[in-house]
Amino acid sequence: MESQIKKIHEQLVSKQITCTSLVQERLELLKANAYNSVNSLLEETAIDLAAKVDAKINNGEKIGLLEGIPFGIKDVYMVQGTYTTASSDMLKNYKSPYTATAIQKLLDVGAIPLVKENCDSFGHGSSSENTIFGPVKNAINPAFVSGGSSGGSAVNVAKDYTVFSIGGDTGGSIRQPAGYNKIYGFKPTYGRISRFGLMAYASSTDCVGPLAKSVEDIRIVLNAMSGKDSKDQTTILSTEISEQEIAKDASGTKVGYFKNFIEGDAIDAAVKADFFASIEKIKAQGIEVKELDFFKGDTLVSTYYTLAMAETASNLSRLDGSNYGNRIEGENLIDTYATTRSESFSEESKRRIVGGNQVLSQGFSDDIYLKGLTLRDQISTNFDTDFKEVDIILSPVTPSPPPKIGESLKDPHAMYLSDAYTVGFSLGQLPTLTVPQGTVTGLQVTAAKNNEELVLKFANFLKDTI
Amino acid sequence: MSKIMTVDILSSIKGAQPSEAVNKLFEEIKNANPTTNNSLNNVNHNAVSINDLREDVVVESSVVERQIIKENFPIEKEGYLVVAKVIEN
Repeated sequence: MESQIKKIHEQLVSKQITCTSLVQERLELLKANAYNSVNSLLEETAIDLAAKVDAKINNGEKIGLLEGIPFGIKDVYMVQGTYTTASSDMLKNYKSPYTATAIQKLLDVGAIPLVKENCDSFGHGSSSENTIFGPVKNAINPAFVSGGSSGGSAVNVAKDYTVFSIGGDTGGSIRQPAGYNKIYGFKPTYGRISRFGLMAYASSTDCVGPLAKSVEDIRIVLNAMSGKDSKDQTTILSTEISEQEIAKDASGTKVGYFKNFIEGDAIDAAVKADFFASIEKIKAQGIEVKELDFFKGDTLVSTYYTLAMAETASNLSRLDGSNYGNRIEGENLIDTYATTRSESFSEESKRRIVGGNQVLSQGFSDDIYLKGLTLRDQISTNFDTDFKEVDIILSPVTPSPPPKIGESLKDPHAMYLSDAYTVGFSLGQLPTLTVPQGTVTGLQVTAAKNNEELVLKFANFLKDTI
Repeated sequence: MSKIMTVDILSSIKGAQPSEAVNKLFEEIKNANPTTNNSLNNVNHNAVSINDLREDVVVESSVVERQIIKENFPIEKEGYLVVAKVIEN
């Protein structure tokens, strides 16, 4: 099966390349890049780790599959001793005191982190323009946005600066930039990978996931990071996914799609035509495809943002300049909090914090927040019903192609609505993979909770079908 | 005694006002018609069962961790970490 990780592993083992030269080459590419995808480089550690891998190979010792493989990390993950800025003024000088579980698991198997990657500040955005490090430019056409919030991670993978990257997905932040940059990006079932050490945005939908150039690489990295973690009590037990299983024939799989996603006015004509062309190719393989009913996009987006804003208002209340991060002294403690937060959060983060406090306050919580929770339950129930009829749900990743840099910032409401196809699967906590095929921004493949194996198997089928 | 708090106070953000873009989202929710109004019927069971709680254990921070926590403190003066000014009255 096609895999960048396996190819590099073979090259290292057969001594066609050294790990040091591999790491140095990628670091040079990252340094020279004009896409604003880098917040900080982990150069010294990376070169030290590469030298150790080379020494092991030269001593005739075996190395693991991920040992010596260079990867990138969205700048919202703790990696001890590294700057972890969340692309924000608030934390621009903050250093991680400890390492996130997901990243520690990759370090334990010998993967080499090269870079902390640019993203929307605290994950607040869908274009990677809400950042103090400059807007991340699209890997295919730099006049367009990279998508977000894990934009730097998607661009680094697309440009081969990293072999894979670890993004974070709350409402589509891995899947949408993966689609915009034509690579794979996976949001697993909520809880499959520990969130310990990931800066919290909306804790009930935050997911850790990989971006890579092949289904096989997604499988390898997903397996390495999955598992229960006592430091995150929402983690779940999961089983390892084998290469053999996802290479099996997908015939007999029942597929569904949400007809209101495709029939509405919001979808770009080319995305709609391409989506239907893909469905026809799938049907031509003897796969049964059903139309499904679902909530309208506006309701999904509103439900998601209501809950996400409430959660981020709560999660970011800890950032007040007292113990870490930026502090701007005021006349007294309350004034210090307010001055620090007013001057250190971006406009988009402030908009979301204020929105969150609005819906949590007396007089609004019943009409908006609690109603949002009810809607979320109904969305989940709808998914449960759908997965009794079909095995896979296919959908476009976005209604339209990527916007030009600067356009999303002018109209935040339009940016929120552009998440219409990704947020529902976040609310349902379902495993969803973006594949770089089918429409200009790819397709999403979703299965029932904990059925990552079927998602990857079907993605392999799509690779050969459309 | 209840006291009305505005969003700028609740958010600790000076001059904060509700935004039009966000209010449009909330209007959509207000106008939505869920088939039930029972938000306690939570389908996504994320809460940990009382039987599955982890043990309370004290984990000592490493020397490096403690050092970085001190480095992250916003202000240090003559070896002391300086707290923000307290409210006088």
